[in-house]
Amino acid sequence: MISLSTALRARRGMMREWRLHALSIFSLAVAFVCLGASLLVVTNLRALEDRWAHAGRASVYLKDNASAEDIESVKQALLKVSGVKQVRYVSGQQARLDFGANQQERASSLAALPAEAFPSTLEVDVVPEMTDTELSDMAAKLQKVPSVEDVETYRAWTERLSRLISGGVAASALLALVVLGAVLAVVGSTIRLALQRRRTEVEVLKLVGATDGFVKGPYILEGSVQGAMGAVGATGLLAALFTIVRGRLDGEFVTLLGLQPQFLPWYAVVGLVCSGALLGAFAAMGSLRKLVLV
Amino acid sequence: MSRFDGPSSFRPALRAGARFSREAKDRPILTFESVYKSYRSGSPVLRGVHLTIERGEFVFVTGSSGAGKSTLLRLLYRSETVDDGRILFLGKDIARLKDDAIPFLRRNIGVVFQDFKLVPAWSVYENVAVALEVLGLPARLIRTRVGEALERVGLAGRGNDLAGVLSGGEQQRVATARAIVGEPALILADEPTGNLDPQLAIDILGLFEEVHEAGTTVVFATHDRTLLEVRPRRVVVLDEGKALDVPQGITIESDDHYRLPN
Ligand SMILES: Nc1ncnc2c1ncn2[C@@H]1O[C@H](COP(=O)(O)OP(=O)(O)OP(=O)(O)O)[C@@H](O)[C@H]1O
Ligand SMILES: [Mg+2]
Repeated sequence: MISLSTALRARRGMMREWRLHALSIFSLAVAFVCLGASLLVVTNLRALEDRWAHAGRASVYLKDNASAEDIESVKQALLKVSGVKQVRYVSGQQARLDFGANQQERASSLAALPAEAFPSTLEVDVVPEMTDTELSDMAAKLQKVPSVEDVETYRAWTERLSRLISGGVAASALLALVVLGAVLAVVGSTIRLALQRRRTEVEVLKLVGATDGFVKGPYILEGSVQGAMGAVGATGLLAALFTIVRGRLDGEFVTLLGLQPQFLPWYAVVGLVCSGALLGAFAAMGSLRKLVLV
Repeated sequence: MSRFDGPSSFRPALRAGARFSREAKDRPILTFESVYKSYRSGSPVLRGVHLTIERGEFVFVTGSSGAGKSTLLRLLYRSETVDDGRILFLGKDIARLKDDAIPFLRRNIGVVFQDFKLVPAWSVYENVAVALEVLGLPARLIRTRVGEALERVGLAGRGNDLAGVLSGGEQQRVATARAIVGEPALILADEPTGNLDPQLAIDILGLFEEVHEAGTTVVFATHDRTLLEVRPRRVVVLDEGKALDVPQGITIESDDHYRLPN
């Protein structure tokens, strides 16, 4: 249905009322920035979850009074468990040094910490295929060994992350609804206003024999362009903010999390823009329903 | 000056006319059968209008202000609908056209509206071209045809001016150009000379006569008596809600009344 003439007339309409359209696109961009930002957070939490879920490791905290033989027997037992790749003993002394190496500037003050602050551990590397239940089974058995103080499988962290992600997804869904409302309201009222201003134009078109489709076409196209441009503007703004924030955080953030923050994947961006265009067209159609019949 | 006839002449009216039956050619182009129309109950404007207009006729419709000339024309392009009676356009009842058929009816009728109906923000060119754009004609054809139409109404070279800044008479001529540019089968002109000086009025009348010569049916609503006297033409008077044919050789008595010879 979109002919060259429709596109030309839509362009003419948008150029004549560019202020109105720019305002509408800006409002839409603000709404889309919120949605995009929450999607960005979810994307990165997902990546984090992925990274940690498949980190494939556990730390066995040993009691201070554990003897070298005890430790060795635990180590040997662990190595016999299927899925365990490697077991490495880290003494409290060593842990303190490692920590200090990561936090050089504060090393002096940390050196004052008591040795007990860094218990000896057995760092267990397991194959990534090892399931959560297998890992927690292993942890439960280890817990019963007398020389073992505690076992950290980092599952609690993944669970916490999962909860955070489902929270993020719920927030995104809510924001998507807000965006839906915003697009319908903003595009709807912009088109209604444009229609009001071009009242004579519509009347003349109908009087010289234009079909409804011919009259409505440009408005639907204008709505769709507004929606798409709003989404594009939001993505651009978000990308700029993302670059700035990442530039600031870089080193610390990456070592802390063990991965690079990433921007929205291309399909999410395409999805945002397409849904903007579709919603815009839909909103325009909605506001054209009661088009004056002359 | 361009010719509106000839084998290569573009006639959307006849193309769309294919929708009508063959024998429509021999039927009157317009038939009013006891048409009633009122805007407010109790004061009908048209009270049983009977009128037949043949293909290729040139008819003046006259009558005092408020007699219902514009109303009569509005019923033809379905801006209003009859309360009772029928209006047949090439044998088809206009009132029974479905909504999506109305655009095609309007493409067969060129109208010069009493209030022009121009888009002030558009250029003269755009205002005329719109009648061809709705037909989906190629841009190049539109350009040449709009150029011709503007030349015919004496506005050659004014295409880029905004319609809103033109004088009343100039706007009226733009409206006329838009009505004739599509070469419709029927032209309805509602006071198309109302804002023109006498000489220009006669020129524009000449333009409609020229279009008529090419085979177009013209219904010309006016209360400008001088125009009625330029040439002997069929004159229909709207009076008391009825249409009466004025016999040739009428004498015009007072300002508002035609005395029919009896
Ligand atoms: N939309 C409308 N609503 C109500 N009354 C109307 C409407 N249009 C016209 N009328 C009334 O109908 C009557 C006929 O109006 P119409 O415009 O057809 O007259 P006319 O013969 O064209 O007059 P003029 O020569 O002044 O243009 C008038 O009394 C007018 O007030
Ligand atoms: Mg009138």
